[in-house]
Amino acid sequence: MKGKCYIQGLAAITPQHTFEGNLFSQPLVSTGANVFAVTEPDYKTFIPANSLRRISRLLKMGLTTALKCMQDSGLSVPDAIVTGTGKGSLQDTERFLKDIRQYEERALNPTPFIQSTYNAVNGMIAVQQQVTTYNNTFVHRGFSFESALLDSMLLLEEGASHTLTGAFDEISAEHFYIKSRIGHWKKEMVNSAALYDHLTPGTISGEGAVFFTLTAAPTTQSYARVAGLKMLYKPSLTALTTGLATFLSQHGLSAKDIDLVITGRNGDNNFEHYYRQLDLGLPQVSQLPFKHLCGEYETAGAFALWLGAHMLKAQQVPQQWFPMVSQFPATLNRILIYNHFFGDQHTFILLERTAAPAV
Amino acid sequence: MAERVFITGMGMITAIGDTVAANLGSLRQQQSGLGFTCYIDTIYKEVLPVAEVKHSTAELSTMAGVPNTPEYTRTTLLGLLAMQEALQQAGISDLQQEPTGFINASTVGGMCDTEKVYFDITDPEKEGDFLKYIDTLDCADCTQRIADTVGFTEYITTVSTACSSSANALMYGARLIKQGLLRRVICGGTEALTRFTLNGFNSLKNVDKRPCRPFDQQRNGLNLGEGAAYLVLESESLVRENNSVILAELSGYCNSNEAFHPTSPSPEGDGAFAAMKNALAMSGRNTADVQYVNVHGTATLNNDVSEGKALERLFGAQVPPFSSTKPFTGHTLAAAGAIEAIYAVLAIQHQVIFPNLNYSEKMEELSIAPETRLLEQVPVNTVISNSFGFGGNNASLVISKYEG
Repeated sequence: MKGKCYIQGLAAITPQHTFEGNLFSQPLVSTGANVFAVTEPDYKTFIPANSLRRISRLLKMGLTTALKCMQDSGLSVPDAIVTGTGKGSLQDTERFLKDIRQYEERALNPTPFIQSTYNAVNGMIAVQQQVTTYNNTFVHRGFSFESALLDSMLLLEEGASHTLTGAFDEISAEHFYIKSRIGHWKKEMVNSAALYDHLTPGTISGEGAVFFTLTAAPTTQSYARVAGLKMLYKPSLTALTTGLATFLSQHGLSAKDIDLVITGRNGDNNFEHYYRQLDLGLPQVSQLPFKHLCGEYETAGAFALWLGAHMLKAQQVPQQWFPMVSQFPATLNRILIYNHFFGDQHTFILLERTAAPAV
Repeated sequence: MAERVFITGMGMITAIGDTVAANLGSLRQQQSGLGFTCYIDTIYKEVLPVAEVKHSTAELSTMAGVPNTPEYTRTTLLGLLAMQEALQQAGISDLQQEPTGFINASTVGGMCDTEKVYFDITDPEKEGDFLKYIDTLDCADCTQRIADTVGFTEYITTVSTACSSSANALMYGARLIKQGLLRRVICGGTEALTRFTLNGFNSLKNVDKRPCRPFDQQRNGLNLGEGAAYLVLESESLVRENNSVILAELSGYCNSNEAFHPTSPSPEGDGAFAAMKNALAMSGRNTADVQYVNVHGTATLNNDVSEGKALERLFGAQVPPFSSTKPFTGHTLAAAGAIEAIYAVLAIQHQVIFPNLNYSEKMEELSIAPETRLLEQVPVNTVISNSFGFGGNNASLVISKYEG
């Protein structure tokens, strides 16, 4: 998909200090536990105390990020709310399963059931902001956020003025253990900042909530333009190479027009070969990996988009976050994001500086 | 000019039949699928009626041609059977001949099977085959297993907007076609009964101990059901190129939100009204053109008041025949929108309107009553199909007879 799609506002709650302040001066947050937790803001500024008590962690993260994003955009109520989540509210799902067992199916509190519904965050944003128009939620692992982004691009093409588009996922101790049983995480403990030095089976786990306000036309405030998006399902290495070449050529670009690639590399040697294949198609293009900042999760692609948008607008890289990278590009006009989720869902996003010179 | 979107294949399985033809037969014979569960482990086994597909999971796996595959959950198998029928009916033997998307819908993924082993999965002391279910915890698992079994390699994804999920999957697929991203997309949803969901709705005091009575004054909640349904959507140009048989046109759709309450609709049916009105406007039809509305009609106290008010607001004194088919299939959640979209196509193909079972007393809030008779040989050219869900998610589809 080619897009007339501009990022007008954004917000993120992630393991890094991303919710407030200037990201270019925030220190690198790392973990040695193989699992990242988000740095939670003070939710009270965004959600009244009586509501805060009733809603679970992921709903707080999602709603707060959405509200902050709308503030950042300076725009009014959006024409659509479109989100992606791989797991929805894990804590509520886990709690309702346990309640069913503990209380033997009797006199159950419905709240965890309601909040475990994948579209619960969307419903809450709609009620709070009185958004009575289009509302959709995608739940397809590493395509969850990117499907929400594609849906939003279609909406802008169909005439929507702006959409609120986001993604959210959380990790719990219980779920971290469950996924460890099928080899998702490294057996040895690694420092997240040195993730790429440990090319062994598995990666580190993470979580986050990221929202964007997307508009059909640029303004002086715009962060960047989402110029293209492509999802590839279980591609062979050949199909991945062809997919990249086709994606670039559809936008009239070749490898030399890309100033920077943000890659989803995560130190997992089971799936590293896809990133190596990408390297072959983009020789001599600077790269930044990002999973040492947020860990691996279904909607981590939204973190990459958030990072890329900030860098294009500020024309700089938060270098303190990348001690493993020695050289950074001087100018940023076009960023390519390539990510995949455990080898199954592969995504390309082309991000352009709002006023990028033509190729 | 955006391309028109046609329905060229359908497949389904529900409590009233393993195929589209069997569903039509049961609808005509007024044969409900409601009864007590054979397969869910619950204290409500003989208390709360459900509309269960009449095959064990092992039988379903044999029927789908994938025997002895424990990692294929009931959700996956129901979906796979419906998908196989849809492909066959559309005459698609090789998905590689035309890039084809797959937009699935699910509310709880493989919960039907994972809930049985969840506490083994979380217990470090336990090892065994159940570890194969870990991947089935989410909603993408069923989509990918169906995709991999029948050979989808293009864009696939999964929608989850509670009870409107598969209606939204159909809409999204239609929009991908209209904007030229794909010429063929197969859309729908799959849902298996689970103890999780049954207890969820029961905790909301939304489940009737008797067969549900949509739009009846004495209605007292819904009955859950299970099933799967997929519709093959093709662009007009692909239909022309392949000489595909057109079953009907997906001529209009709208997704709107109530922005009212997490689980209750607004009393005046604002979201339902907006969804139907905008979908009809998109289809280029007006209210007088609609001969049948397959309502969401869950028989919960709130839904039927809200949806009934919306019908009265939209159609005024001329509300067309409407009925809920939930007393046949139960409320199949993520699959409901696609199942009922197929019923809308069947109504058009066979010029028939399906009865609303279990109705006897008009609701005091409404001046309208559902159609309780099976109407045969009536003109049905335009049908509205409604699906409304938690989170205020409302979806309406307009399905029209193809007239060139």
